[in-house]
Amino acid sequence: MAASLTGLLKPWTPRVLLVRWSRYNPYYLEPEPRKEVYHIPETELTPEQKEERELKSVRPIKAATNSVTSSVFNDPVLSKFVNMMMKDGDKIIAKGIITQTLENMKRKQVEKYHKAPEGKKAETECNPYAIFHQALENCKPVIGLASIQKGGKFYQVPIPLTDDRRRFLAMKWMITECRDNKHRRTLMYEKLSQELLAAFSKEGNVVKRKHELHKMAESNRAYAHYRWW
Amino acid sequence: MAASGGRTVGSFLWKCGNCCFNFNTVSSNLTRQVLSRQLCVSAVLHRKNLAAAGPEKFSEEFIKKQVEEFNIGKRHLANMMGEDPETFTQGDINRSIAYLFPSGLFDKKAKPLMKHPDEVFPKQRAVQWGADGRPFHFLFYTGKQSYYSLMHDTFTKALAVEKHQDRLRGKDLFTQDAKQISLVGSRWLLKEELEELLVETISEHDYARFIQLMERLLSLPYCSVEEDFVQRYRRQLEIQSSKQQVQPLQYDQHGVAYSTGDGKQRKTATGTVLLRDSGSGSISINGTNYVHYFPVLQDREQLMFPLHFMGVLGRFDMQCSVSGGGHSSQAGALRLAISRAMLSFLSEGQVETMRQAGLLTPDPRIKERKKPGQEGARRKFTWKKR
Repeated sequence: MAASLTGLLKPWTPRVLLVRWSRYNPYYLEPEPRKEVYHIPETELTPEQKEERELKSVRPIKAATNSVTSSVFNDPVLSKFVNMMMKDGDKIIAKGIITQTLENMKRKQVEKYHKAPEGKKAETECNPYAIFHQALENCKPVIGLASIQKGGKFYQVPIPLTDDRRRFLAMKWMITECRDNKHRRTLMYEKLSQELLAAFSKEGNVVKRKHELHKMAESNRAYAHYRWW
Repeated sequence: MAASGGRTVGSFLWKCGNCCFNFNTVSSNLTRQVLSRQLCVSAVLHRKNLAAAGPEKFSEEFIKKQVEEFNIGKRHLANMMGEDPETFTQGDINRSIAYLFPSGLFDKKAKPLMKHPDEVFPKQRAVQWGADGRPFHFLFYTGKQSYYSLMHDTFTKALAVEKHQDRLRGKDLFTQDAKQISLVGSRWLLKEELEELLVETISEHDYARFIQLMERLLSLPYCSVEEDFVQRYRRQLEIQSSKQQVQPLQYDQHGVAYSTGDGKQRKTATGTVLLRDSGSGSISINGTNYVHYFPVLQDREQLMFPLHFMGVLGRFDMQCSVSGGGHSSQAGALRLAISRAMLSFLSEGQVETMRQAGLLTPDPRIKERKKPGQEGARRKFTWKKR
């Protein structure tokens, strides 16, 4: 722990400037903006949660960022996707594209719902947020490849991926796919809604890319022991 | 010299009980062991631990005389300033000295000082050996007798706890879920604080070993037997929510409660808010409606965040004024101002929940400066091979 407590509570520049640093002292904890968490009564808390609450009461908390609210429409995964789609810091355009995509998906699904026979009506998913999450889940790879040098040659070695990395890869593939492989006249939101609906039903180029990665990892199974971590 | 400086001021006031003193003869060179007036958690960091450096420099009678002189001088000073000598605090002394001996010097340590001798003279150890030259403590020749005797004590306690556990096992009364010492809300003593306690210097390695040993003691299931011993080496952390300044509610001529959030900064944008109770949820910013001022949904969501979080969306009327920065930073500044204005209407528990949601911390992120030798904050110049 650093020297005196007053020094920990000020905006801070570390003495040795690392590549990734922030103006918050590492003493600060992350904020929790959701309302429901604070309405759980004392009796229903697990011991870990109680300890966490006591820790939070003595530690300073960081400020909530601009993109975070306590409303029900606030979705961290969607915010991450908007940030990844953003170019040159223009969040208004990125958020606009996503909103149009969700609207487009809803329209298509509602059309399908009305055209479907009675038995199939309940199966068509109309909630665009649910479709988005499910599509992203279907695009996430389970295993990844790393380039490891051994004896002068580089081998593609299958490695396990963390949750964050998997989510990042799914989003990245989705965005690059929509930017590269579209006709000059189709708009971004149109192409994105097509891809998301395809990924929801496990078709489309992104899911194909995921399967190819899995096949490569399977074929390189022999080099798995090159991994040392 | 610390001694002469303290003595000068103290004895000065003792001799000059009749308010006749000479400004020129006050020596204000108090170069070492001057305790700063900061109210930080541990003031140990501001003075060097000279106690361990050598044999004692000040005898006990000398220190006692200094204390007497200080107390008498304090009473004289109180009489001089026309205050009650019984309730004259250190803060009053500081203010009086700053008034009577105004100093144009910039170095805080060079200004005139009047403090209790315990804070001015370092704590030191009495002579460690007797007349025959034999040391009193059996660990004297280790060089760090207090530290090693502390380690021995801790280990003895650990052994005692283990023996207690074995006895309980023998009687079949041993349970894994015995009462544990509560460690949340306190921290271990810092290395400097431990040095002050032991009155000798220890190295980083020594300190790490001490903490390791204490953690080992805490890992035993029945360590609550030695709780007093452990708590002596822990310091309480203060509750953060008590640090929020909550302004009292003000009432205007119609009896309606209102409160102001003072100008809050977010990345060069400042905003002020006037929250009025029993309103209809209308917000006006710089005279215009908030829907026209913030066409972007994200900014309006930020304004609503504190109100929605507390569930008081339609209750308040707001008049905001904001300047500087861009649209996002103005929304952030207003959010902070609204949260601070709302504090007057909320209870303690709700203030703590708002703090944990991240609504009450001013965002310290600013534009990173450009560095020399680079094109921007991070971007380097184009690399040329030759």
